[in-house]
Amino acid sequence: MRVLAYLDAGSSSMILQALLGGVAGIAVALKMFGKRVFSIFTFWKKDEPVAAEATTATTASATTSVPAATPAKTEEAPAKETV
Amino acid sequence: MSSEEADVAVRLEPGSFRDRDSRVVIGEDAIYRVLAGGGLEDWRALSETPLLEQLLADGSIVGTEEVDLSVLPSEAREILPGGAEAVLRHERIPFVSYPYEWTFGMLQDAALLQLDLELKALDQNLTLKDASPYNVQFRGATPTFIDIGSFEKLTPGEPWAGYRQFCMLNLYPLLLEAYKDIPFHPWLRGSIDGITPKDAAAIFSFRDRFRKGVFTHVALHARLDSRYSVDESGDIKKELKESNFKQELIKANVQRMRKLVSKLKWKAGETAWTGYRAVNTYSDADAEMKMDFVREAAAAKRPKLVWDMGCNDGAYSRIAAEHAEQVVAFDFDHATVDALYRSLREEGNTKILPLVGNLADPSPGLGWRGLERRTLPDRGTPDLTLALALIHHVSITANVPISEFLDWVRSLDTAMVIEFPKRNDPMVKRLLSGKQEGANADYDLENFERELAARFQIERSEPLPSGMRVLYQVRP
Repeated sequence: MRVLAYLDAGSSSMILQALLGGVAGIAVALKMFGKRVFSIFTFWKKDEPVAAEATTATTASATTSVPAATPAKTEEAPAKETV
Repeated sequence: MSSEEADVAVRLEPGSFRDRDSRVVIGEDAIYRVLAGGGLEDWRALSETPLLEQLLADGSIVGTEEVDLSVLPSEAREILPGGAEAVLRHERIPFVSYPYEWTFGMLQDAALLQLDLELKALDQNLTLKDASPYNVQFRGATPTFIDIGSFEKLTPGEPWAGYRQFCMLNLYPLLLEAYKDIPFHPWLRGSIDGITPKDAAAIFSFRDRFRKGVFTHVALHARLDSRYSVDESGDIKKELKESNFKQELIKANVQRMRKLVSKLKWKAGETAWTGYRAVNTYSDADAEMKMDFVREAAAAKRPKLVWDMGCNDGAYSRIAAEHAEQVVAFDFDHATVDALYRSLREEGNTKILPLVGNLADPSPGLGWRGLERRTLPDRGTPDLTLALALIHHVSITANVPISEFLDWVRSLDTAMVIEFPKRNDPMVKRLLSGKQEGANADYDLENFERELAARFQIERSEPLPSGMRVLYQVRP
């Protein structure tokens, strides 16, 4: 049984192989990124109650200095990372 | 398997430890590869295809056969954690060399060989698990792939694991030399893993991005590197698989990479040494006599291994090769050695290995424990050394005392043909012209002969017809 690959192929190097693979490669990349983009939207949609919870949690735990925009920021942050 | 007494003495190859299922041990006349687990499965997968026979027949992989486990002593069979399950015997490459000693053409041919093997492997549902030019060696000027353990079964949906390594150790060094005229040798010698995408990207200008391969394999690669970390690679692999990444994609990418690499050209231009034969400072009569002298020495010694130090266009290497098994031809001038390599490659020469190297700064031991990549003498000492039109460069240009140079050659325990250009030789005068009055006082015929006789038996010496140079044939 092979547990670990002998050589780490590298995240970026693997993505690049899809991007460079012509039409078929772009299809793979779109599918892959599509899923990621899609997941952002679903996260957003599903997230409203979660965001509300977060707001409550934040306001509850914070003293006074946490600005109201903080929950919105936590929503945006993963989107930026994943695109 | 049998536990009979093994009939060969072996030692572990210190550079072979990365692959836990496949390790190399060195025997007297052959190299052995000990296999277990996944390594054995992969060997079985390769040996069941018609590809193995085909690659062995055309010489693109090193001679390989499976032998009985009992060939190896028990301690060699125990070097893998779970014990050995099979042993391969490989043909011995006459002299091991490394990419930081190769010319542009050699690295390019080594890169192309790996890509060709990857394409052929893909057709058999196999792949190469890495893409290191260290997996390629040269028999003379003919490349051959030595890492049989690199062939593995292809996992559907996974990209080519060797792509990144191919870029760092093959493509970027070639691009640097071809597009920027930056020698790759110091870089590869300084970094066992090669050039990172980030470092390569820093060298290419915005304008360079329009040259083939730079935008995609360098700039985009570096950009993606800055956004994705190594610890995500497991997730990315899974996502690619789910997104229907197919084997055809690897094939298309490798084919494109092959096209890119095969079209790269390094315009070496004329260096002081490329046309040396036509404009050198000695006469035809001198050259003719030197050729006869070398031929007679080589014929008398019938050496296994010759080192031609400062080989220039390889004229004397060719003469030595008439009577030697293998000649390693070194010169520090990359352009000259590349021209030599190309002509030897065209002839299909398997006897003369051309290498780029500076005698005053030779290849050190590198990698883990300084043993993964070995020094030149560690890879095999010569029976005969040619040091023609060399000692004035070592002594005057590099300032190595004559006594120390001779000490070093003596430590190799080799016979030698050495040429001493006297102080009135035009080249010696030129080298001395930039020095202070009285510099390199040890560079003197009388002193040289005394030092030589203190370390070697002088078998023969002849002044060349011009009267400015003397040839010596010596033995330890």
